[in-house]
Amino acid sequence: MTTPALELRRLTKRFPARGRIGTQGDGGFLAVDRVDLTLPRNRVVALVGESGSGKTTTGLLALRLLGATGGTILLDGEDITTLNPKAMKAYRRRMQVVFQDSYASLDPMMTLGEIIAEPLGIHGLLTAAERRDQARRWLEKVGLDPSYASRYPHELSGGQRQRVSVARALVLGPTVLVADEPTSALDVSVKAQIINLLQDLQADMGLSMLFISHDLSVVRSFADEVVVMFRGRVVERAPADRIFDDARHPYTRALLDAVPVADPKARRRRKFLTAEEIAAATPRFAAHELEREPLLDTAEPQLVALAGSHYVEAVVGG
Amino acid sequence: MLSYIVRRTLSMLVTFVVVSVVIFLMMHAITGGPFDGYDMPLPDNIRARLMAQLGLDQPIWVQYLRYMWGVLHFDFGVPYQSPGETVLSLIAQAWVPSLTLGGLGMIIGAPIGILLGTTAALNRNSPIDYLASALATLGLTIPVFVISMLLILIFAVWLGWLPADGWGEPKKWILPIMAYAAVPIATYARYARSAVLDTLNKPFVTVLRAKGLSERRVIFQHVMRNSAIPMVTIFLPMFVGIATGSIFVEAMFRVPGLGAFFVSSIDKRDYPLEMALMLLLTMMFCVSYLISDVLYAVLNPRIRIDGGER
Repeated sequence: MTTPALELRRLTKRFPARGRIGTQGDGGFLAVDRVDLTLPRNRVVALVGESGSGKTTTGLLALRLLGATGGTILLDGEDITTLNPKAMKAYRRRMQVVFQDSYASLDPMMTLGEIIAEPLGIHGLLTAAERRDQARRWLEKVGLDPSYASRYPHELSGGQRQRVSVARALVLGPTVLVADEPTSALDVSVKAQIINLLQDLQADMGLSMLFISHDLSVVRSFADEVVVMFRGRVVERAPADRIFDDARHPYTRALLDAVPVADPKARRRRKFLTAEEIAAATPRFAAHELEREPLLDTAEPQLVALAGSHYVEAVVGG
Repeated sequence: MLSYIVRRTLSMLVTFVVVSVVIFLMMHAITGGPFDGYDMPLPDNIRARLMAQLGLDQPIWVQYLRYMWGVLHFDFGVPYQSPGETVLSLIAQAWVPSLTLGGLGMIIGAPIGILLGTTAALNRNSPIDYLASALATLGLTIPVFVISMLLILIFAVWLGWLPADGWGEPKKWILPIMAYAAVPIATYARYARSAVLDTLNKPFVTVLRAKGLSERRVIFQHVMRNSAIPMVTIFLPMFVGIATGSIFVEAMFRVPGLGAFFVSSIDKRDYPLEMALMLLLTMMFCVSYLISDVLYAVLNPRIRIDGGER
């Protein structure tokens, strides 16, 4: 078994409750709760969930842009959880990010050429002239005219800006790309273009991509595996087709129900579940139904293995 | 850009004319004249002769045109309160202390404010932040004459480090400069704090960190640059406001500056001096706003005046 490009083990983030000066609120908010996630080389793993489910926080933790409260982050099998900023710098080259807000993601004071070339400068790669060339080449790679190098972000459309974000992320030749809702702010047609671009580049560069989205319809087209998060926990994880054909967790089903269907005849009545309903509907499996022995010997819900690399949060017994 | 500057300059002239008319009318709308003082009443015939000498018996529009004709030739008249001089020489003389003290207060205060605000933003919700915000609020809310009084009390009376008077040798400048600096420090601290916070929350800053740029360089190369625009653009108008002297600061520290003339020229119905001061102020504000706007466009690629060039 080859080392995965990125692995998260029991990653946890608790935000302290904001209290008065000096007092530390006890408890706080558990945004990410013991999340396990494996991003194999050259694969696309989609991390889905509603707003506030902790998926973006997970992405930021994985990138070490936010300090984890607990757990381990392995990049190419190396533990980067506690590296200091200086030691971290070398690893940052291998792990890049694209955010949702294409406008705020680009420094408005810089030209596109400067923006794309900057990561190379930060890591002291190439000469200034070579960096400029590289920036122009990348503009072309993401489907923009190289003459755009002298333009500013505000002169572009949202889709074009997102292409620039992609170019900037990939110019360092990373192995891991975290794409945090890269298409959520875009029109449907532009959305498809960006997805296609990411897909092409992923295949060309052998990227491993963690694709964070709340929109399952986007995920379906190109994710290899889907991880569903709900209230900071992974509630289901399975190969993409299994998620779409045989979702086992009620929350995943609710998310699937939320995907619009184009055919009006096939339209069904949508079900909206409250958090309590979802908690009450936690699936239950007998021990013999499981692929492997459950890790915990309690009645607490836990992630259990079903046939076909399908994991779901469930209660064992009964 | 050039056509923009030309257009702005023309509209500035219009502003200038409108302001001059309004000031002139308001000035003459105040009852009484320069020779109506109670303490030494002049006989009517002498008063009438003086009024005729100064052209004050003419219809108001004639007076206005005469004055403006003079202004066009850089002749701002003779101040009634000091007939031995010209308005220009009086202003030139009195402006030196105001410009020196106010200007230094501004030049010293703005960077301190920026430093304070930036430090507050980078340590958001920490005691440093609360302290800086409290200082900024105090600086803006305590009237400058109270600040002046406190400065005198602390540094001149209690500690005895500095003289309470404010002109002459540079040692005497320190307290008035501190008083003048209060407003720029407070204003800049608030601007800098919100501008830096605003920029820090932008995803592009997170991306920079993700790319491995050190925190120090993130702040200095990107955050400061993006936060600088509003701070550059408020500098000049504020400079004009402060470097023309504050009657309060100058009165508190007995500085022979311009500030007092703004009041005394109204009090004594010194029309030529008052007009000259107001026109000067108008001109400086107009020019400072024009320069600020041009700077804003130069600094901010998002604003392209005329939509030309790029």
